[in-house]
Amino acid sequence: MSNLLSVENLTMKFGGLTAIDNLSFDAKSNQITSIIGPNGAGKTTVFNCLTGFYKPTNGQMFLYKEDSKISLRKYTDFKIAYVAKVARTFQNIRLFPAMSVLENLLVAQHNELMVASGYSLFGLLNLKSYRDKEQLAVDKAKYWLDIIGLTHRADDNAGDLPYGDQRKLEIVRAMCIEPRLLCLDEPAAGLNPKESAELNKLLKFIKTEKQTGILLIEHDMSVVMGISDHVVVLNYGKKIFEGTANQTKNSKEVIEAYLGVDE
Amino acid sequence: MEKKDIIQSFKDSLFTGLIALALFGPIVGLRTVSKGEGLFITPQWGIVFLLVGLCILGRFLININSARRTEFKIFSTLSSKLSSITEDKAKHFAITGILFAVVFPFLPFTDRYFMDVAIMILTYIMLGWGLNIVVGLAGLLDLGYVAFYAVGAYSYALIATTFGWSFWICLPLAGVFAAFFGILLGFPVLRLRGDYLAIVTLGFGEIIRIILINWYEVTNGPDGITGIPRPSFFGLPFKRSPDEGEISFHLFFNLEYSTMHRIIFLYYLILVLALITNYFTLKIRKLPVGRAWEALREDEIACKSLGVNPTNTKLTAFAIGAMFGGFAGSFFATRQAFISPESFTFIESAIIVAIVVLGGMGSQTGVVLASIFLIGITEMFRDLEQYRMIAFGGAMVLIMVFKPKGILANRKPTILMHGDKK
Repeated sequence: MSNLLSVENLTMKFGGLTAIDNLSFDAKSNQITSIIGPNGAGKTTVFNCLTGFYKPTNGQMFLYKEDSKISLRKYTDFKIAYVAKVARTFQNIRLFPAMSVLENLLVAQHNELMVASGYSLFGLLNLKSYRDKEQLAVDKAKYWLDIIGLTHRADDNAGDLPYGDQRKLEIVRAMCIEPRLLCLDEPAAGLNPKESAELNKLLKFIKTEKQTGILLIEHDMSVVMGISDHVVVLNYGKKIFEGTANQTKNSKEVIEAYLGVDE
Repeated sequence: MEKKDIIQSFKDSLFTGLIALALFGPIVGLRTVSKGEGLFITPQWGIVFLLVGLCILGRFLININSARRTEFKIFSTLSSKLSSITEDKAKHFAITGILFAVVFPFLPFTDRYFMDVAIMILTYIMLGWGLNIVVGLAGLLDLGYVAFYAVGAYSYALIATTFGWSFWICLPLAGVFAAFFGILLGFPVLRLRGDYLAIVTLGFGEIIRIILINWYEVTNGPDGITGIPRPSFFGLPFKRSPDEGEISFHLFFNLEYSTMHRIIFLYYLILVLALITNYFTLKIRKLPVGRAWEALREDEIACKSLGVNPTNTKLTAFAIGAMFGGFAGSFFATRQAFISPESFTFIESAIIVAIVVLGGMGSQTGVVLASIFLIGITEMFRDLEQYRMIAFGGAMVLIMVFKPKGILANRKPTILMHGDKK
């Protein structure tokens, strides 16, 4: 179980506000690392720094790749997903609602398909090499839809799916870019207990079968405690605790951060 | 219905009449006529009372209609007819439409006027299809599309008059120039979206027009460019008496000379150009770049998180949309043989955007229907002179009332996993 991600002294300031203050933690591949904390603790800001939406004020983030390590600071915007292979989902679901479920999964494979279509030239000529590649992309989409049980709705608009299915679709769409690290921002928000249980199963499957490290922001403790291998607790941008799920449950600092201190 | 309701709706319609009187009174009622030494006001209260009466009556009928909570039969049938047009039926419509378009010049009732209107409608259809890539697929609201139309027309005119090259060489060049301007516009507006993008593109359209007016040395300013070569039928010109050593079209085919030959050729030319635009759009929509355009329209941030390069994707949309605008522009130049900046005002952009929006964003068949509807209706009411814009406005209101998402709003997925179920 090797190190996948190490965040070193990450600091993010918005004007006078320090959203993340000197944060360091590691995440390992084949593990689910949860980041928890009260609202406004800076969890989503950590994600936005990792996935290139913000440029951190200070600190380093490294992603380990076999023997080498790459600095995520160097990549911004779409390159995080394209080059560094860090995928993410969003707190408020961001699917392409007016496009079909299958199309959503194909857009995630855009870059491979773009090359296969000879930047549209082979595609316009309808060459066999492109059609084969497209079929492979559809097969991959079908593989993931089978796992989340949505194959029968592949041709329906993504926006017409029930909320829980949209959540799952967003996760497998991110998986279609074959990420090394998958960042999930509150995937269980708004799910009922049955759907949360299904989500746990899906995340465990990704962790064990796909060799992908998962970074998870979550408020739903049944999800966090059920599947996390490692928990990082933030409060006011600072790390107040780090450990296994069980250690976290019993930590005095964490309980204080969530429930307040006895006077 | 109760008596109270009737009185209530009558009062309401009288109030409507009051507003109508306030509006129509000064606008329609007072007409200025120039007589000898100055302008004189001639009142025309007859028309005003007619219009106000119509408003009162219309409002009264609408009130009664809504009070009964049932609809007039004509409204409901019209509405259901319009909503029954789906993309499936659109396919049959497209095939019959193309067949009709092919035989149209040879129908018995087709005369010069009909041909001119048909050519105009086809030009707008082509522009609509070109803009559909930018607005309908990529979701970038471009209010300055006429700029690319102008760039295409002027590049064609300047190249053709300066170098004397044939239409088939100038056409692709005009397209390339327009695409280049598309990228030029694309770069500064990459970060803009929605309203802000619309404002900048609007400005871009005006900038191009003002450059055309002021760059006198090249564009000949407001005087425009005259003597743009007419297209020839693959080297055979459409002339009554061809120059020395030239064979003209009617001599080659042993026909009686007629000006209609050139009109019919122009008609088929724009038909083919428009169909190429359509075919290209339908094809590219199913390719990764087309899907990326639509994804960008749906959610740009999600696109970035999936590794789609938004810069390249937007620029290709701008460039390809502009290229087709440029093709249409060079057709316009060769058809008119004269172009001036006056042909490329904002109203043109507005009409093209209206066609795309009313047709149903991203729907190819919708663009055809909307063009026929909007341009056809304005043409039909040409005798009404300046009031024909009312017909234009009325057509827009009708579509928006009955089909708020456009005539054809159904989007069909670009790829199906389970095949066509219907």
